[in-house]
Amino acid sequence: MTALTPTTGAAPGAAPTARKAPARRHPYLAALRTPRGLTGLALVALIVLGGLLAPLLSGHDPTAQSGLGLAAPGTNGHPLGTDDLGRDLLSRVLYGIRTDLGVIALAVPLGALLGCLFALLAAAHPVADTAVQRVFDLILAFPGLILALAVTAVLGPGRLPVILVIALAEIPVFGRQLRGGILVQREREYVVAARVGGTSRSRALVRHILPNAADPLVVQLALSLTVAVFLEGAMSFLGVGVRPPEPTLGSVLNQSMPYLADAPQFAAGPLLAVTALVLGLSLVADALNREIRR
Amino acid sequence: MTDPMTEPYLSPSPHPSRRSTLRATGVGALLLGSVLTGCRSAVSASSYRAEDDSGPRRGGTVSVAINSDFTPSLLFSQSSQPLQNRLLFNTLTRFDDALKPHPELATSWTYAKDGRSITLRLRNDVTYHDGRRFTADDVIFAVRNLQDPQHAAQLRATAAAITGFEKRGDHELVLKLAHPVTNLFDLFEFMIIPDRHTVAQAVTGKTLNGTGPFRLKKWSPGSSLSLTRNDRYFRPGRPYLDAVELRVIPQAEALISSLRSGQSQLSFQVPGKSIRTVRDNPDLVVTTYDTGAGASYLGVNTTIAPFDDKTVRQALAWSVDRERILKQSLGGYGLASAAPWPKSSPAYTEANRTHYTYDPAKARRLLKSAGHSRLTAPLLHLNSPESTAIAEAVQYDLQQAGVRVTLQPTDPATAQKKLISQDMPALWTMDHGFAQVQPATLAVSAYPFNEAKNTSKYRSEHYTKVVREAWTAAGAGTARQHALEQRVSDVLLDEAFIIDLVVQGSVQVASSKLRGATLNKFLYLNLDDAYLV
Repeated sequence: MTALTPTTGAAPGAAPTARKAPARRHPYLAALRTPRGLTGLALVALIVLGGLLAPLLSGHDPTAQSGLGLAAPGTNGHPLGTDDLGRDLLSRVLYGIRTDLGVIALAVPLGALLGCLFALLAAAHPVADTAVQRVFDLILAFPGLILALAVTAVLGPGRLPVILVIALAEIPVFGRQLRGGILVQREREYVVAARVGGTSRSRALVRHILPNAADPLVVQLALSLTVAVFLEGAMSFLGVGVRPPEPTLGSVLNQSMPYLADAPQFAAGPLLAVTALVLGLSLVADALNREIRR
Repeated sequence: MTDPMTEPYLSPSPHPSRRSTLRATGVGALLLGSVLTGCRSAVSASSYRAEDDSGPRRGGTVSVAINSDFTPSLLFSQSSQPLQNRLLFNTLTRFDDALKPHPELATSWTYAKDGRSITLRLRNDVTYHDGRRFTADDVIFAVRNLQDPQHAAQLRATAAAITGFEKRGDHELVLKLAHPVTNLFDLFEFMIIPDRHTVAQAVTGKTLNGTGPFRLKKWSPGSSLSLTRNDRYFRPGRPYLDAVELRVIPQAEALISSLRSGQSQLSFQVPGKSIRTVRDNPDLVVTTYDTGAGASYLGVNTTIAPFDDKTVRQALAWSVDRERILKQSLGGYGLASAAPWPKSSPAYTEANRTHYTYDPAKARRLLKSAGHSRLTAPLLHLNSPESTAIAEAVQYDLQQAGVRVTLQPTDPATAQKKLISQDMPALWTMDHGFAQVQPATLAVSAYPFNEAKNTSKYRSEHYTKVVREAWTAAGAGTARQHALEQRVSDVLLDEAFIIDLVVQGSVQVASSKLRGATLNKFLYLNLDDAYLV
């Protein structure tokens, strides 16, 4: 039998070598190794590290005021200068990043988790599906900022309302995404085969359908983080976000508005941080999307 | 050279994708600062040159930029946007800068020797916008209208002191007072004379029938109030302007842009911090008024421990650095003052102004003597950038003295409601008016100071006594009157239930083409003599 099955590519008489095909790298890792993914990751890492290392990178308390008022970059040991109340701008931007990251890192996964739970509920029964879809419609009927104003009108401004608004806004996004994935996957042959083989509905969902429907969620997670950065910034900009004097990128940007012409460095810090964060997350999402679709 | 205002800078992609959209968003954020920064030079470069003033001329429309809409339901109180009041209506008299009354609808007046009545002689050539003649009955109605509690007019106490009316023909009227009051002409400056037949429609904004130089053309809620020239106006040849439009522009930056681009010719609502961005513009003229119509203060709820203790309140008064707040939060436009009075007020003294200065060490000593080393309290403030900056400065100063404050940003409507209903937390910062007229008016009219019912819930027989004496004393401007007013100041400063920070003036930013715009003491805009060159 062995004579009838020659080893492909092996010289006759040579000892057969067990050459394995190179293991395909996990698509997420592969995505992050593309130029697009690397650039995105670098930008996100830069901003995240800036926020995490804020106490080391700036020796100033972001809430400590002084008589300096609005000061130019380099004044009295303030690399970016100070804001109108004499607070160090670099530390406010760095601590602002930290605040923003803290909010979105909690809010987006929370929204994603709740959205996925709703999707699973919807997949369980057609009646539940209809009910969940109407709930999603209801939430999606409110644009993000309107939702933010409605929630803060009830709860008042603060960190918790911001987290709630972002999580609430993300629930239907993740819910619809996962529900669509489940509907597609459960009609596939491998699922049908598993069901015919006696696998229960719930086991098929957890063991077979969910892992195959989850890929788009990873891309969505990266995209939702960018939306959350915008939403948090917009809420702080409108004065309904995290309470002052705790800095956020949106609130620092809001304070800089009267000084755009005379002191552009005031706005430059938060603008660059938001831009780099959003751009980085978008590039990561794009790289993941491309790799998963291959 | 390409015109920077018309140069395309973000061409849409023929095939927009999510990626390009996200990239465009990122690039857009980067460009935002530079575009906004560039607006100034762009507008300045294309703006007009100021022409020589060859005297008043007829015609033209003035656009006034306002940051909040006209609220008809608050037409008779000082809580709303008041600029339109003197455009649509008239008052009985008007003050000059020295608080001396001058004729308007009242041509002359005679006070009784005992101060318990005043005889008004009224103009007989005035008609309302609908053609009806103005008579003494309209003045009687206006007074009774202000006495109505549902209008929440701050000068209601003064209006309520008028207990009798004696008509002597259509254009002479005797007002009888329950007791003498020193601020009757404040009422005459404040009280617009509406058409008694359409007042129900006036408070809904449907009809605004007055005797003023302009008549209502259209009110578009949230957008604009359009007024057109009143051809029946009693002043011959006035107004010069054909029309006035009050345009609602809530965002300060957009409001300033409308002034710089010439879309608006006048505004009183450019924040102090932003004045320097228009000060050097040759096409705009900045004028300051010492109306003191918006003094910033720190309010204290005296029913919440430990702020029921005067020593603690005084410690707060010593904690705040008023000069820094003036400079950093208000752009230097105003007067750092521990007392509510502007320099033009009869009650103003330098000793009152500097009664409390910045002394955190003294504040800590006082707190310690009252048995406190660390305190915590909420502080309500409006969620506008200017109010937030003041609140943050106060928060920081109080923290240095050992009072840890949590800020409560609040929308203006809710804050106003809480102010009126005395539902404020332990501390709050807002602005108050009514210090720019007769001193007694502040203590009998303004919500934070009203001796009968104030937001701090401060009650004291002594306060009531000194306020009543200052309010009812005959002989305004006399040494005795000044002494009585000083006693009011003494109580306010000693009890510190309202801790004044900065007395703000009104700042007018106008096109250099506009001449003759003035304000009365209650911020009613007067464009009788205004014209465009």
